[in-house]
Amino acid sequence: MILLVTILIPLLAALAVALAPETRAKSIAMLGTCVALVLGGYLALQFPWDHAGEFHLGGEKAIEWLPSLGISLSLGVDGVALLLILLTLLLGPICVAASSTAITSRRRSYYAWLLVLQAAMTGVFAARDIVVFYVCFEFTLVPMFVLISLWGSTNRKRAAVKFFLYTFTGSVLALAAIVYVAAVNAAIDPASLTSLERGLHPEAGRWSFSIDALTFAAGHLSSAEQALVMAGLMLGFAVKVPLFPFHTWLPLAHTEAPTAGSVILAGVLLKLGTYGIYRFVFAFAPMAVVEYAPLVALVCIVGILYGGLICWVQTDVKKLVAYSSVAHLGFCVLGMFALNGAGLTGSIFYMINHGLSTGALFLLIGMIYERYHTRSMKELGGLAAKMPIWSTFMVFFTMASVGLPGLNGFVSEFLCLLGAFQASSAWGSGLWGSAGAMKGATLGELGPWYALIAGVGMVIGAIYLLYMVGRIVWGKLVEPHAHHDGHDAHAPVLPKDLCTREIALLLPLAALCIGLGVYPKPVLQALEEPVRFSLRGIDDVRAARPVAATPIEAARVEVTP
Amino acid sequence: MMTLAQSGFPEVMSQVTLAHYLFVSGAMFTIGLVGFLTRRNLIIMFLCTELMFQAAGIALVAFGRFHLDFTGQTFVIFVLTVAAAEAAMALALVVLLFRRRESLDAEAWREMRG
Amino acid sequence: MLSITTTPAWGEFTFDAGQALLPGMVGYAKVMIAAVGLLLLMLMAGTVDRTDEERIAAGRASFDPLRSNRAEFYAFFLFSLTGLMLVAGADTLLWMFLALELTSLPTYIMVAISTQRNRSREAAVKYFFLGALGAAVFLYGFTLIYGGCGTARLNEIHDHIALHGINTLTMAGIMLSLLGLGFKIAAVPMHFYTPDVYEGAAPQVSAFLAFVPKTAGFMAILLLAATIGWTYDPGAVKGVIRASEHGTQLPEAVRVLLWVMAAMTMTVGNILAVLQSSVKRILAYSSIAHSGYMLVGVIAGPGDGSFTGSGVGAVLFYLMAYGVMNVGAFAVLAALERGRRDDGDAIEIETVDDLRGLWSSHPRMALVMLVCNLSLLGMPPLLGFFGKLPLFTSAIGAGEVPLVIVLGVNSAIAAYYYLRLAFVPMLENADRGAGAPRAAPFRSREIAGLLSAAGVIALAVFGASIMKRVEAAAKVSPTIAEIQATATP
Repeated sequence: MILLVTILIPLLAALAVALAPETRAKSIAMLGTCVALVLGGYLALQFPWDHAGEFHLGGEKAIEWLPSLGISLSLGVDGVALLLILLTLLLGPICVAASSTAITSRRRSYYAWLLVLQAAMTGVFAARDIVVFYVCFEFTLVPMFVLISLWGSTNRKRAAVKFFLYTFTGSVLALAAIVYVAAVNAAIDPASLTSLERGLHPEAGRWSFSIDALTFAAGHLSSAEQALVMAGLMLGFAVKVPLFPFHTWLPLAHTEAPTAGSVILAGVLLKLGTYGIYRFVFAFAPMAVVEYAPLVALVCIVGILYGGLICWVQTDVKKLVAYSSVAHLGFCVLGMFALNGAGLTGSIFYMINHGLSTGALFLLIGMIYERYHTRSMKELGGLAAKMPIWSTFMVFFTMASVGLPGLNGFVSEFLCLLGAFQASSAWGSGLWGSAGAMKGATLGELGPWYALIAGVGMVIGAIYLLYMVGRIVWGKLVEPHAHHDGHDAHAPVLPKDLCTREIALLLPLAALCIGLGVYPKPVLQALEEPVRFSLRGIDDVRAARPVAATPIEAARVEVTP
Repeated sequence: MMTLAQSGFPEVMSQVTLAHYLFVSGAMFTIGLVGFLTRRNLIIMFLCTELMFQAAGIALVAFGRFHLDFTGQTFVIFVLTVAAAEAAMALALVVLLFRRRESLDAEAWREMRG
Repeated sequence: MLSITTTPAWGEFTFDAGQALLPGMVGYAKVMIAAVGLLLLMLMAGTVDRTDEERIAAGRASFDPLRSNRAEFYAFFLFSLTGLMLVAGADTLLWMFLALELTSLPTYIMVAISTQRNRSREAAVKYFFLGALGAAVFLYGFTLIYGGCGTARLNEIHDHIALHGINTLTMAGIMLSLLGLGFKIAAVPMHFYTPDVYEGAAPQVSAFLAFVPKTAGFMAILLLAATIGWTYDPGAVKGVIRASEHGTQLPEAVRVLLWVMAAMTMTVGNILAVLQSSVKRILAYSSIAHSGYMLVGVIAGPGDGSFTGSGVGAVLFYLMAYGVMNVGAFAVLAALERGRRDDGDAIEIETVDDLRGLWSSHPRMALVMLVCNLSLLGMPPLLGFFGKLPLFTSAIGAGEVPLVIVLGVNSAIAAYYYLRLAFVPMLENADRGAGAPRAAPFRSREIAGLLSAAGVIALAVFGASIMKRVEAAAKVSPTIAEIQATATP
């Protein structure tokens, strides 16, 4: 029930904003997001963190929605979903506050759509029915489309359409895959199940879109069917993440979106893709996941290197950070497909950290853009002299993003790489394997070579981000001439350096970056059980496989207990 | 029905089988279809659709006789009625068009393209 | 819509003299047609007798039955809806033919007199001639079916096919009938007329054309498919019909024909719609595409009989959903005009650009445009999505995965033009010219639009009871042969 309220409050606030006078829009939106955030805190307190692998807080009974279609409004969160909801709720007020000077026209619609977007994103993480998930997942497109195309910069319409079409196409194919699993569930003959299974899965043999029922039904898929299901789902989610060949919408959307839009896009919307992979691909197609993990990892690595190299030649700061997202989410998915505890934990942690640090970077870039109306590195330089506070934050969040030890980015990136490194097998890491047994190796499909090459990407990432900081923060002071003092007639005049409001926006993010970097233990503990539960299906697949496929693998199995 | 059929028809008609009727009907239908697709005069095009209707009529009567069943003949009466209604409508529309354009050529009516 | 809440059992309601293959469909179809018909009727206000009706609408005159000299327009409207209801209950081929003709003959006249312009006449002639061709083709098809089976009663044909299989004559008849009915639903290759006719007719009549003949065609196709039997199994022992492995099997030739028609129809419709700039042409091509989507449901068949698994239910539900959202989209065009011609006709909204700035000048209509087009696009959580979902589920349940992928890709193509229609009113600013849209003097058109938009949202949220009705309506009744088969152990 409380989850439903958390989703409904932004929606109600959106309605209120739409009906209220223009001048009140911002304060109502602020109120709505703050109430939602407080509710989020309450959720976090209520949540039994010791049993973070199970789903809680969804209320006693699912609300019937469209029973003929097998859809019910069932909600519930485990540790992973709750952490992502908290991230969403935290970014809510920050986005509202970050828009107060940037958005001067049609404020009512702006804040209303922003609130609708927040409700949809919360719904995605809270859904326990896959159609409810899909409804929210798809519906995020509409507000984001409007945000980009109404309040974006010059090329906004093309960016918005591209964003919409890419994601929509992908997710329609994902829907086909979901329906396929549902059809398999409906075709199960209840009589063929044991009475225990029948008790646990009353939906088997009927049309249902409950995630639990479909997870059970996925066990009835052949490996070829699972490969198809995985292909469909991955197409849908990979576009959203975005993984390498499907990423072209992202830089455009990021560059054109208003600041708050970019923050939400980087902070939460991209995580919908990774969350979808984590929640559905792993559950519905474990065999295919094990089989194709190296392929996905390869795509991730190409994305990491490609994103890094593209960043190197960017002059637009916002585009640079956008491409860095492509690389960073490559790490995230790489860690996920390591299919072991370290990798998966790191990957989920990465989702949160990327949301914090990249979100903050987009906020900072937005602040510069409001002052100078440019994002080009050629026109900006040495701002440390003019804007010491901004520069401090910029350097700080860049470090967090690069993965400086002591800050949050390091922990997750390290875990992802570690997971990939340990997940050793004969394929792709033969050289390493033949040199003798590897300590700490878990059964897995990736291996040291994957980690090594991805590590190169990490170094590239450090180079381009530091290069960017070097250009705009330090060095000779360069300011654009045309817009030096040229604010819009409507825009309120901003001080040279950050004002209190802007600092207040960045401080919580900075605090979290330090906190999670120095003491990540609570989060990692909370993730332990969900990760273990998610890996159960994968481990079953491995256990069922013939053990010694190749001599090298056989050798390794001997040493690993 | 049997008696009626046996007594009423001249001897030579017993040589005519269902296939003959169907051949005529099929030929009429095809001629109508081809005519409709190739001719551009509105009246001719309309007559072609009438030809196709009547082809169906012939086949219906023949089938009715073949199955010794009145449905086919009943069907034909209704088909004729509908065809008459369509004829009235077609001529009305054609007259309307002719008054505006002084032409019966379908090609003269090309206001919409896209 | 009132009747839905007050007569609880209309889903099971059957007519004495109705067909027995899809008995539940009769009652459902009538209520659905009446409901959408009411919306359409609200749109029709002022189509003919415009000057008089305008004065009545403005309160300068009161309604005088003797002055309404163009009342035949409304008579035709009602005749057509009557024909449509009769199609649902057709129990013989003769009845089906007459009902289909009763549905379509009035529409030709409605198109012709919907405006004063030559375009409408041209559209009417085009529509009439191709309509007559389509009618001739399915009439010939019916004839051959009658010839092949020796009876025109659908039940008896069904039993004949179940016992003796399909002979060549019947098969040819079925193929011709489906092609001819393809004209009614605007399916490839009988779709050519659609954009021209929709463009030439007044928008409210186009809305009528998008719903009424399409519904008639689909109900006839469903009845024909039920006659052949979705459980048709050529390898079956005489007198015994087994549901085949995947639940449904139309005879392979019919399935292939429908498959190709469905795939071609959606693809052609969507791709051509992307290339258009006129709003009515976009909606026309999209109407073609939607027929393609619904053909998927026909191929899927009744499946396991549940709402989710039944393609028949999916088609029946989608017809209703399409009716509602489509009326909304056309209502915006009907409720707005850019000016007046000398002869009193409205200058309609033509291109997508004419919709610019609607969000600020007519926010309600812009909202209707947004909601209805997003729903047509299939954006959850609107009605269109819940219409499309059963098409997905039933087709996959029937093992038609490739067709579903075609359907998915097409939905994505459709996103391109529906986005334009949905968002141009909101995102683009109007050039302050003379042609800025203003409200037509008939408020009922606007109300129809608002009702459709409200329906698109409300039926998605509270559609559960309707879905239950549809499930009952989509039940294919067992026939003699099947009852015999189940009786023998």
